[in-house]
Amino acid sequence: MSELLKIYALTKRNIKLRYKNSVIGFFWGFLKPFLYLLVFILIFSTQFSSLGNYVLYVTSGLIIWFYFSNVAGQIIQSIISSADLIKSIKIPPIYFPIAELTSELFNLCLMFIVFLLVMYPFGITYSFKLFLFFPAVILFSLFTLGFSLILSGINVFLRDVGILWNTILPAFFYVTPVAYPMSLIPLKYQFIVKMNPVYYFIELFRHIVYYPDGPSYKLWTGALISGIISFAIGYFIFQKLSRYFISCI
Amino acid sequence: MHLKKTNIKVPLITLENISVDFLENNVGIHSVKDFFTIGKRPFRRKTILKEINFTINKGESWAIMGRNGSGKSTLLRTISGIIKPSGGKLTVSGTIAPILALSAGMELELTGFENINLLLSLSGLKHREIIQLTREIIDFSELDTNTLQMPVKRYSSGMIARLAFSIALAKNFDILMIDEILAVGDQGFQTKCVQKINLIKEQGKTIIFVSHAPADAVKLCENAILIENGSIKQSGNSKNVCRHYEALFQS
Repeated sequence: MSELLKIYALTKRNIKLRYKNSVIGFFWGFLKPFLYLLVFILIFSTQFSSLGNYVLYVTSGLIIWFYFSNVAGQIIQSIISSADLIKSIKIPPIYFPIAELTSELFNLCLMFIVFLLVMYPFGITYSFKLFLFFPAVILFSLFTLGFSLILSGINVFLRDVGILWNTILPAFFYVTPVAYPMSLIPLKYQFIVKMNPVYYFIELFRHIVYYPDGPSYKLWTGALISGIISFAIGYFIFQKLSRYFISCI
Repeated sequence: MHLKKTNIKVPLITLENISVDFLENNVGIHSVKDFFTIGKRPFRRKTILKEINFTINKGESWAIMGRNGSGKSTLLRTISGIIKPSGGKLTVSGTIAPILALSAGMELELTGFENINLLLSLSGLKHREIIQLTREIIDFSELDTNTLQMPVKRYSSGMIARLAFSIALAKNFDILMIDEILAVGDQGFQTKCVQKINLIKEQGKTIIFVSHAPADAVKLCENAILIENGSIKQSGNSKNVCRHYEALFQS
């Protein structure tokens, strides 16, 4: 219990720090996906008439994508940016990445509420299916956490990892069908996109908020397995590396 | 003379053959030559502490002395559990109040109050206890409410030390660990700290104190160890050890 309170305290710190000294503070979180959304609507909405409801399609993808890229970006730097604290207080280093995740999770939940309200004129259907958002978010968070733990552990020793991540992130965005339908990619190259686990999570979310039919068991199982495997590997590597963190921060 | 110095010794901290290794980062191209050197090892193991053996009993006060970079802070971090030793056995029975850095882990962007809250929460206290202790912290640090509502980055180093010291002392503890923090406070606060440390000693608590000022070490601690290149060179009565410490810089 007291350990959870520690993570809660770090989460609160993160949320406070993120928007300190900025005027519209918290709303930057909403502004970023909104700007992307505007751009995509301007450029693409007439192109993809195959997508019945382009705005809803893109927005659902963007929310998930930005959650993923924010969490990963924050976690990768989390150990380095908390160096002072790690050096002065006895606290398991893994709390720092977890607190980054929970503070982004808080943002995501608010974002989801706004999303539900704003998407009403764009044809979102309110049903109990929307509650599936929560188990889906838990699995996706597990996946993202595990993946980011690996990067953040290595980043302590090789700062190239953080730089590399920022470099490839835009490319990663465009090979993931966030703003365009899968059918846009030629059949023989689709396997590349299908190797990307984030694609399946976005599909999972789209089945919850966009497609009329809910996610299939296959999608759920895939999400569950990739979530658990990613977290297990990430946790193992992070714990192995963490004993030497102090010498490199 | 003093009653507290009875013969029964209760070991609080025991270090047996403790060694600490660091990974020394050697990555990165620093010169044109590096670019063409193949097989340069990216990481080197470096031993910071070598086979440290000593015991601190309940109620004792120890000064840790040594040159810059001799491993004093690493020793304190190892005892407080922040660094895992790569060899040996460490036993600590009792809670530690560590002041290991000037800022004690404070977040410079956050206000004094927010930092009090953060650091106390991270040491495992509940909301109710934190509210109680905040009062004590304000009293001891002598910082006013206005100051505590300012981000810590606007504090002078003396004010930061005041706050860090007060936060660390607020919680109940058995062992106080101070890494050269007294030097920055003003005269008034230094005196106050020394008084407080003496009070803590009278309560039978244990003190570990890193200092570069032999006068302080002798004043506050009965015992001392001298660390040189990661191993204990001498330990015992603080006056003797301080003489050796001063001798290091004579030649």
